[in-house]
Amino acid sequence: MAALTWVLIALAIWHFTIFVPDRFWGGIVGGFVFSMIGGVLGGWLLSGLSMPSRADTDVVTVLLGIPGTLVALTALWFYGARKEAQEEAAAAAAGRA
Amino acid sequence: MTDRRRNSLILLLVALMVAASCVVLATKPTKQGLDLKGGVQLIYEAQATKGEELDQAALDRTIDVMQERVNSLGVAEAEIQRSGSNQIDVGLPDVTNPQEAADTVGSTAQMAFYDWEANVVGPDGVIDPTNPEIVQAAGFRQNVAAAPAYEAIMRARELKPADGRRAVADAQWYAVNDRTKTVVAGPQQTREQLATSTSLGRAFERQPDVLRDLRRSGTAKPYRLVSIPSGYRIVEAEDDPDTKIEGDPITRRNSRWFVLRDVAELRGEDIKNPAQGFDQRPGGRGPNVTFEFSDRGKDVWKDITKRIADRGRDNCVAPAGANPRQQAQICANHFAIVLDQKLVSVPLIDFNENPNGISGSGGSSISGSFTIDSAQRLANQLKSGSLPLKLELISQQQVSATLGQEALSQGLKAGIFGFLGVAIFLVLFYRALGVVAVLGLAVYTVFFLALIKLIPIVLTLPGIAGLILTVAVAADANVVIFERVKDELQAGRSVPRAIKDGYRKGLSAILDGNAITFLVAFILFMVATAGVKGFAFNLGIGVIVSMVTALVMTQAILGLLSRSPIITHPAMLGARKRDPIWHRFDFVKASKWFFSMSGVILAIGAIGIGAKGLNFGIDFESGTQITATARQGTTVEDVRRVLEPLGEGDAKIQTVELSGDAARERGNGQTFQLATQNLDRDELEAVTRALGTLGVDPATLDSNTVGPTFGQTVARLAVIAIIASFILIALIVWFRFGVRFTVPILIAVVHDLLITAGIYALTGAEITASTVAALLTIIGYSIYDTVIVFDRMRENLKRLPSAAFSQIANRSLSEVLGRSLITSFSAGVPTLALLLFGGDTLKDFALAMLVGTLSGAYSSIFIAGPVLTEWMERLPTFKAKRRRLTLAAGGTLPPYPDANASKGGVDPFAQRPKSERITAPEPEAGTAVSANEFQRMVDELGIEPGSGGRQRTAAPEEPAAPEQPSRAADLSPEEVVLRDDRTRGTGARKGKGKSNRRHGRR
Repeated sequence: MAALTWVLIALAIWHFTIFVPDRFWGGIVGGFVFSMIGGVLGGWLLSGLSMPSRADTDVVTVLLGIPGTLVALTALWFYGARKEAQEEAAAAAAGRA
Repeated sequence: MTDRRRNSLILLLVALMVAASCVVLATKPTKQGLDLKGGVQLIYEAQATKGEELDQAALDRTIDVMQERVNSLGVAEAEIQRSGSNQIDVGLPDVTNPQEAADTVGSTAQMAFYDWEANVVGPDGVIDPTNPEIVQAAGFRQNVAAAPAYEAIMRARELKPADGRRAVADAQWYAVNDRTKTVVAGPQQTREQLATSTSLGRAFERQPDVLRDLRRSGTAKPYRLVSIPSGYRIVEAEDDPDTKIEGDPITRRNSRWFVLRDVAELRGEDIKNPAQGFDQRPGGRGPNVTFEFSDRGKDVWKDITKRIADRGRDNCVAPAGANPRQQAQICANHFAIVLDQKLVSVPLIDFNENPNGISGSGGSSISGSFTIDSAQRLANQLKSGSLPLKLELISQQQVSATLGQEALSQGLKAGIFGFLGVAIFLVLFYRALGVVAVLGLAVYTVFFLALIKLIPIVLTLPGIAGLILTVAVAADANVVIFERVKDELQAGRSVPRAIKDGYRKGLSAILDGNAITFLVAFILFMVATAGVKGFAFNLGIGVIVSMVTALVMTQAILGLLSRSPIITHPAMLGARKRDPIWHRFDFVKASKWFFSMSGVILAIGAIGIGAKGLNFGIDFESGTQITATARQGTTVEDVRRVLEPLGEGDAKIQTVELSGDAARERGNGQTFQLATQNLDRDELEAVTRALGTLGVDPATLDSNTVGPTFGQTVARLAVIAIIASFILIALIVWFRFGVRFTVPILIAVVHDLLITAGIYALTGAEITASTVAALLTIIGYSIYDTVIVFDRMRENLKRLPSAAFSQIANRSLSEVLGRSLITSFSAGVPTLALLLFGGDTLKDFALAMLVGTLSGAYSSIFIAGPVLTEWMERLPTFKAKRRRLTLAAGGTLPPYPDANASKGGVDPFAQRPKSERITAPEPEAGTAVSANEFQRMVDELGIEPGSGGRQRTAAPEEPAAPEQPSRAADLSPEEVVLRDDRTRGTGARKGKGKSNRRHGRR
């Protein structure tokens, strides 16, 4: 159940990436995949490397999925922006040559 | 063959089939499932036994034996079928006593005959036939060798393994609690089977607090798994008429057990012709079971009874003066008859009457604490033989006939209202086309109902839900086509041409969508539990039948009517004169707000699941649900009070309002629904008796018991079904559309499923096996909806080669939004009818469907479309195109491709290449082009209409689509070329020219 809530909250956060310039590595789909992974992984880490049982899943458990999602999306955005800049630089250099 | 003749033949064929269907409907009965006509459903999990592997052949033999036993119950139309790899599903209509049914059908009935004194282990752990105390009260709980189950097991564990070649018992593992000195569960054949068994799970459902505390404190499990050495078994003492033991005897403290060396002299297969009889001898014990021996049995019986008689006589130390009868009573040794794990009878062999043993030629009898019913049952079980496999009852459901009929009437009411709702909507919206569609739906319904009777399909409540939903599927196919027809009309084509092209262009999307729905139904049918299988089967059949009626039949009707004044006016077809309100709406730009809305809904759903959790029904959680009607004025507290002595005081009890026939038949009574932990058969019987004190008639009681094993199976299959559907459908979509289109479709599906989960958490609706069926249908529906949208995008991608992807997306979304709204409505109406009129059973199913339908329509437009756009615009081609068009437009990209605004030629028709569309291929010779396309061709050829082919020097401005369709709009390229040849052309229109006849145009 905890994993389901993390996936849900990650998906919810991912929806708001539409407001950010799309520089995610892999685009919006890359963002989707990594937000899910980040949400579940982050939730698992913050739960002390354990998966809370159904009975132990509460609102706080849901919130544990947020940091991982944000970290994953941020990392993905910076990585994508960097790659994009590198590609543009390479293209410009090729054009000059 | 001309179109008219072909259409007439099709309609004639359909009329004949309708007539035949009506005959079938009038003459054939409908097979109703247990949930509609009442009865008992038992689901067993089969386990391997000694010398019998769990395989297909063993399951089939087991089913054969069970069928014979069911026949002995006199149950008509019983159904026994394999379910999955190790389950057997038994449906017994009109049976009102699930306990009796389970006893008859599912007990192993492994019969074995033992030399009693030579094999029973005494209290000191020694087998001593000469011990006179062992002989006294042989087989009864008063015997010195009898002990509580825990002690018997511990006694057996002290023994060294014996020769097990003639052993019968194969289940030797028990779970014991050393602190309380009780047996928790067992026996099972292996340690693993015991550790995962239903009985062990049930044992700790009773004390969840204990388990939780133990887990938290890291303490060891409160039980120990132990086994009895091979060659020995424990058997329960013979019933004492004064001691009534309820529940599983192995776990009851007051049951008594013997340790027996497992050397069986005879087995069930050594007897024949068992029958219920009556022991009429003086002092006889009433009803008994008589039987004859097989040839081998006769010999063994003679030998063994002689041996027992000899031993009794040799070891006899009778009091002085005892007569022969008294001597026998004191000294005679015994022969034990064991059925499964219980001593049925331990008769003595009177060495005075039978000094040479008893001849087996006259047969023998088993006397015990039988009633006539139990003796009959045993005789029948022996007649059909023991079951090759061991069966564990994992689910038991009893539905009373009245509640079943009530469910049927609710389902039918939902179906009628759903059908009427869709019909009214179609007629209002599509007018003449709608009437034809309703006719198609009516024919579809007649065909389907006839098929149900003809095949025959067992009609269950989920099956009715499937039937109702297929009405939506059938209507949807018509909507897709009619929207295409309207598009064609608005593009300036005449009515006949618009109808023809509407069907042609809509076919691809309908085939894709129906293939997906069929696949979902197939997967569901393969992995679902019995009840949901009915839904899946009906959905699958419905998809196929609806294709025939929606595509072939309605096309034939419209083909015949296409020149009729009834439908020649576009208004009669519901064609819009004005653009819809979303015309030129910037979907891509607005998607930010729709994304935000979805994000908020999902976040609320996540918090809802965290705060309230999901309410899983007993299909997943296991437990027992009882619906019973007590006398008027009974309160929840009254019910709780009678249940408390049974340890069920914490059951969830709520009042239920019945309606219709069920309410009338049950008079003014108060109906309750109880949900409690998993009750075994005896506990359920005790609860039924307790409720009887409140005026509950057992015949009208509904119960549903699901064991943990079955619950786990349902949950596992649900996950498998969802994942398998997901993967297979993804492969199909990927094959048809490529990976770039597939991923957004899957994202939209995930979005819909999770939104549905969130809504379930927020509303607290119960998740049952039917909900899983609904979820899978949502997957199918959501993908179908998105496929329609993407199909249009792909089409426009080819038609608008110079447009930015966001412009293509906006245009496509604008074109299909109407269709999406209409199909959502036409699917939503039957679903809403199910929700409102389908009763409790279908309510949760319908809720999932309704939420999924709405979410599916929304996500296909506002989630999948924009995701695809974002992703596609990262491609260098579209990125460059967007940049170029933005610059050309002065820094702001227009949301729609516009010929006047852009010199880059983003108008589709201005730069239309020769081969453009995938789903709607380039018109072949004889097929029509739109007014705009026609004008383009005219321009390219330099022909001036009406001028006899004069060259034009400049391309004219694109004409607006005509208000009324002109004949020119229907002309084919060939007709454009042949225009100068007025004689041939005129002749062709009169039906004389071969060239035009070749193209089927008259």
